[in-house]
Amino acid sequence: MDNSVKIMPKAIVCEESVLRGDITISPGCIIHTSATIIAECGPIILGENCIVEEYATIINKNASEEAEAGGNALIIGTNNVFEVGCHVQAKKIGENNIFECKSYVSPAVSVSSGCVIGAGCRLLAAQTLPEHTVIYSKNCLQRDAMEKQSQALQIESLRKILPNYHHLKKATFDAKKIRGQV
Amino acid sequence: MASFMLPPVVSYACSCGLINPITKLYFCRHCLQLRCGFCVCHEVDSHFCSSCLENIPSSEAKLKKNRCNNCFNCPSCQHTLSARATTVVVPKKVDDPEKGDGDDKEKDKVITRKMYYLSCLACRWTTRDVGIPDQTVASGAWPECEYANQTRLNAIMEYYQSVVLQEKQEKQDLWKRKTPKKHKYFSLTDRTGLTVSMIRRQMGWADKAPPKPKAITPSEASEEVDELPESIFTEPVNLKNITTIKQRHSQPADQPETVDNLFPQRKSLWIKRSLRCRQCEHNIIKPEYHPTSIKYRIQLFASYHVPEVRLVKCEQPLKAGVANFVILNFANPTMHDMVVKIIELPSEDEEALLIEEFRRGFEKQTSLTSTPSLTSALSRQTSLNEEPRFVDKRTTAKLEYPNVPFTVNHRDDSAEFDEDTQIQQEEPPFVIWRKSNKVSVKLGFTPDPDLASNDEVVVGFSMQYNYVNTVINTADRSEPQKHTLHARVYVKVGNITSESA
Repeated sequence: MDNSVKIMPKAIVCEESVLRGDITISPGCIIHTSATIIAECGPIILGENCIVEEYATIINKNASEEAEAGGNALIIGTNNVFEVGCHVQAKKIGENNIFECKSYVSPAVSVSSGCVIGAGCRLLAAQTLPEHTVIYSKNCLQRDAMEKQSQALQIESLRKILPNYHHLKKATFDAKKIRGQV
Repeated sequence: MASFMLPPVVSYACSCGLINPITKLYFCRHCLQLRCGFCVCHEVDSHFCSSCLENIPSSEAKLKKNRCNNCFNCPSCQHTLSARATTVVVPKKVDDPEKGDGDDKEKDKVITRKMYYLSCLACRWTTRDVGIPDQTVASGAWPECEYANQTRLNAIMEYYQSVVLQEKQEKQDLWKRKTPKKHKYFSLTDRTGLTVSMIRRQMGWADKAPPKPKAITPSEASEEVDELPESIFTEPVNLKNITTIKQRHSQPADQPETVDNLFPQRKSLWIKRSLRCRQCEHNIIKPEYHPTSIKYRIQLFASYHVPEVRLVKCEQPLKAGVANFVILNFANPTMHDMVVKIIELPSEDEEALLIEEFRRGFEKQTSLTSTPSLTSALSRQTSLNEEPRFVDKRTTAKLEYPNVPFTVNHRDDSAEFDEDTQIQQEEPPFVIWRKSNKVSVKLGFTPDPDLASNDEVVVGFSMQYNYVNTVINTADRSEPQKHTLHARVYVKVGNITSESA
């Protein structure tokens, strides 16, 4: 697996995080230590202002049958939160989703926008989560959320605190420079 | 404590004959008997809210229907709701609009105000979901829901309360008439045969009879039920909008069908309870009064007084009729050395004698309390005696009882840090291991020959141990008393291996 990790400027990526394969990390993202992102079956593109917390795992497992030209990329939208210990292998992830602690999302699931996968919930069956779905409790009950979940404050404080206590990976990709090269 | 959540391997027979693991048993120091949850009186000590840990007096708890004033449960997932603060910008109120047009500066002024709403941290339900307006104070000001049947239920409750009151009054009157009170001094009414009510009537006063309960219109059952709406057959069901059974049951007053009628529910109060032995009426468990404290003032758990038996190992495979051995571990939880002897379980006749003794203990107690202390009987819950019974567990193996006593050293918390100094002493041959307050013994047994495969093999024995009572029951005896006690122990050693395996 070739390691071509593109870290955009202003993204905060801790040195001890595990990044393998073709990964693009957009500006404003925060990747904690010991978070794992593995682009196994195709590239992973992380949208802006995503938080990937400790022990969270994101794996691209898009099956090869759908792997038409560039179709196997896992595109993650903006403002998603992957909380401690979650394991996400979803096909597609929209915006403003929260994957709570120890949740699991199988490769057969597409997540739209504004969804919350509750702590410890396991989503296995093939499905597309409608927008603003909240999955909670032991039996994975579903309900509609009215409120938009926001974690702007959390991002702000992490941006201040993380660089003080962790070594960060340097940005490897500069949008201005690449334009010059091409 | 390995048996705390798991199905018990070692169980003890309570004095009433029920089988329990040692973690669920109590030990009455005054009767020197094991007691299970059915052999003790459960009394409510105090009410408190598990969320805010506020202590609520029982009269207030009754008034508030056993619910906390400040804390709410999520109607969606039954977790505790927490208050969240938001800042909202509100335009400053201009008292007089006509006067305001002169100075525009005054009009533009806004103030930021803190507003609170309730939010569930588990399922992210908020009070905004159902349109409850945000509050200016964090607790206490949440609107109370009005329910359609509330007035009706209140009327019925009032009616039955007055009925009870009337019946009580009538009973008292009857009792008074039957047994005329003997006063120290004769009263005029006694001689003349006049009664208070007669005099009252003669004087033209109204009779002092209690007011008759106001009649209520009884409910009528009707067979006619509204037809199902047409839409139920035509429109697809959206399960996200329909409440679950659990959600409906947690809101019993109106049992909403759709999620937009969910309303925060006041949190039910918890209790601290104390346990009391039913035979001697001494406290067995008494918690500290304060809700934040998890300590006990009196705690007579059996695991603090009775040697704990654990199954260490049993040689597999178990075969019916084939001799085997089991290693059991005995731990002494007390501060005094114990002499333990493993003897045969009581036979049926002996067990019947035990039951008889148990029953006698209760009779003695009831004869003691019933006559002199009427007040205590009224204030306390009438104690329902647990009917003693034969132990409902049969041993399915023959144990070789050693009939030789062995000592189990007292518990010494500092012994763990001491250097291991084994004092060689004369040990019975079946004792194979010894450390601080623990002793392992190896006992032979033979499963019954008529056991089928996968049958449970249960080894039972009566454990005779000497117990040093540190409470002084009587004033004249100041020295701790020694007692020889018995506990019936049943150990599930395993299953008979199936023939094919």
